[in-house]
Amino acid sequence: MTTTNPNPNTPGPVAIPVTGLGQREHANQLKSSSAPTQPALEAKAIAKSYVIGGQARPVLDGIDFHVDPGECVFLAGPSGSGKTTLLSILGLLLTSDSGQLFLKDRRVDGLNEVERTLVRRQRIGFVFQRFQLINGLTAEDNVAIPLTMDGMPMREARDRAGDLLCRMGLQDHCKALPTSMSPGQCQRVALARAVINEPELILADEPTAALDGKSGKAVMELLHQLTKEFASSTVVVTHDPRIYEYADRICEMENGRFK
Amino acid sequence: MRWNLAYRTLLHDRGKLIAGLVGVIFSVVLVNLQGGLFFGLINKASLLVDRSNADIWIGHRGMHNVDFPHGIPERFRFVVAGVEGVAEVEPIRIGFGEISLPDGRFEDCVIVGVTEGTDLGRAYEVLEGQEDALQYPDGIVVDRCDDAKLVHPEIGEIREINGRRVRVMGKSEGILSFLVSPYVFMSYDQAVELSTEDPQNASYLLVRTENDSDPGQICRQIESLLPDVSAMPAGRYGRVSIHFWMTRAGLGVSFGAAAMLGLLVGLVMVGQTLYAMVLDRISEYATLRAIGLSERELLCILGLQSALVATIGIAIGMVITVILKTSLSTPRVTIEIPLMLYVGCGVLIFAICLFAAGLPYLRVRRIDPHTALQS
Repeated sequence: MTTTNPNPNTPGPVAIPVTGLGQREHANQLKSSSAPTQPALEAKAIAKSYVIGGQARPVLDGIDFHVDPGECVFLAGPSGSGKTTLLSILGLLLTSDSGQLFLKDRRVDGLNEVERTLVRRQRIGFVFQRFQLINGLTAEDNVAIPLTMDGMPMREARDRAGDLLCRMGLQDHCKALPTSMSPGQCQRVALARAVINEPELILADEPTAALDGKSGKAVMELLHQLTKEFASSTVVVTHDPRIYEYADRICEMENGRFK
Repeated sequence: MRWNLAYRTLLHDRGKLIAGLVGVIFSVVLVNLQGGLFFGLINKASLLVDRSNADIWIGHRGMHNVDFPHGIPERFRFVVAGVEGVAEVEPIRIGFGEISLPDGRFEDCVIVGVTEGTDLGRAYEVLEGQEDALQYPDGIVVDRCDDAKLVHPEIGEIREINGRRVRVMGKSEGILSFLVSPYVFMSYDQAVELSTEDPQNASYLLVRTENDSDPGQICRQIESLLPDVSAMPAGRYGRVSIHFWMTRAGLGVSFGAAAMLGLLVGLVMVGQTLYAMVLDRISEYATLRAIGLSERELLCILGLQSALVATIGIAIGMVITVILKTSLSTPRVTIEIPLMLYVGCGVLIFAICLFAAGLPYLRVRRIDPHTALQS
C-alpha cells in the first residue's frame, strides 16, 4: 500500500476557533500516547466483486486497511479503482465477499442487516457528495435526525443541532430548508449531521466534489476541526488534490488494490 | 422523529399531498352518499310501518312486505284485544287502485285506509288542507312529493279512485312509497268501499301495547291464539319489509358495488400517491437507511403518512358529505346517513389508507442504503 503523509504536524493547516469541545482531551491523549493503540477501524483481506455481463469482475482484491483513532485517511485514485466500494464496505452499506472488518474490537463483517443498521446509527457518521439532506426538513431538523433516532426528545435534539449549526456559522439558516441554501451551506449542514452524535468513525464520499474551491476548503476545515474535537477517525474518498493537506495519510488505489 | 419526518416530508410535497387527499375525500363522499341514498331509498320500504304509531303488526302468515298484504279477517281484532298487554287494536287496509287525472289519464296508487279516532296507521301529517281531512265525506290525503304524478291536485279538487268519487282534503310531505305508485290515505270504510277485496278482511291489525308490556311476548301469544296470522313488533316488520326489497330487487348488491368502487378508487389513489412520493424520495430514504434508520422505522413513517392523509381526507370528506347531504336531500331523493355509516366509512377508509401504505413499502424494502453514496 502506498501511503503518504502530506502533513505530519497534524492538526490541519487552519484552526477554526471552536469552543466547548467534548473529547478534545481524549483525542490528544490518544495522539500523544506512545503505547500501541487498537485501530479504530481495521479491514483484513477485503474482497468484493460484481457480476457484470454474467462474469464476476473483482472490484476489491484482498484489501488490508486500518485507521487509527483520531486519524484522517484519504482514499484517492482514479474512477473505478474501488474507493467508493471500499468506503461502502467500511460503512457497512455493502457486505464484502470475503475478509474481516473490525470496528475497534468488534468484528462487524458478519452482522445481519438489523445489526449493521444499528452499528451505522450509533458508531458511524456519513458525509455524502450530494449532501443528501432531507428536503422537507429544516437544517436544524436534518442535523437532529441522528440524535432523535437514538431516542433523544425532539426539542433537546433541535437545541443541540441549533448550537452546532451556530458554531458552524449557520445561525441564520437553522430554520432554512435545504433548497434555500447554497451547496457549501448544505454540505456544512450534512457535516453537522454526520458529527452531531460524536461517532467513532466518519466516512466522507467526495465531500468537496460539488463545491467550489473556497467552500470545499471551508468544509474540510470544519470536518478537520470537528473530527479532532469529537476524537473521530475519518476516511475521506476524494479526487480533489486541493484538500490533500487535511489528510494524516493518503492511500492511493488502483484496480481494486492499494498502490 | 418519525412523526416529524413523516408530516414534514408529506407537507413539503403539497401537490402529491393534494392528490392523495382528493382520493380519500372522493372515497368518503362517494361511500357516504351512496350509503345515504341507499338508506334513504330502502327506508321507504318500511315507511308505513315506521310511522304507523303501532307497536305490533299482525298480518297473513308469512307476511313479508308491508305494501303486499294478504287479507286477514278483521274480526280477529277482538281476539287480539283480549290478549294481555294489548292497549288498542285497529285494522288497516292497504290495496292498489287507480286515480283519475285531470287530463283523462289514470295513475296507479296505493290506497291506505285507516280508522278514525285513532293515530294507529296514520303515517302522514297534514301540512296543507284540513287536519281532519279523512273526516270529510270522500276525503283523501295525498303527498306533495307526488304532485307531479297526480298532476298537481288542489285542496278540494275532486278525483276518482276505482271509479268512485274522492276529494283531496289534505296534503302531507315525505310519505312516499317504495313502489312507484303514490300513497293515498283515506278512511277505513272508504277504502273498503273502493276495494274489490272481501270487505270482511283487513290487510293488517295494528296493535298498541301497554307501556310495560313485552311486544315479543304479546306476538307469541297472538300467534298461539291465531295460528293463521303472523305478528311482529313494528321494528322487526320494518326490517322484514326492507329485507324483501334488498333480496328480491338486488338493491344491496348494486349500491354495495358502487360503494366498493368508491373505496377502490380511494385505495388506488392513496396507494399511488404514496408510491409516487416514495419514488421521488428514494435517495432520501436511502440516506436515512444509510445513517441508521431501520426498515421498520421507515414502514412506521409510511404508515404515519398514510394515517395523516387518511385523517385529513376523512375530516374534509365528512364536512363535504354533510354539506351535500343538507343541500341535496329531498323527500323524494332522500339521503339518510346514520351515524354508524359515518363512523364505519371513516374506519374503513382509514384502514384502507394504512393498507395502501403497503404498496410504497414494497418499494422501500428494496432500497439499498449503498445507493446513498451513488446519488
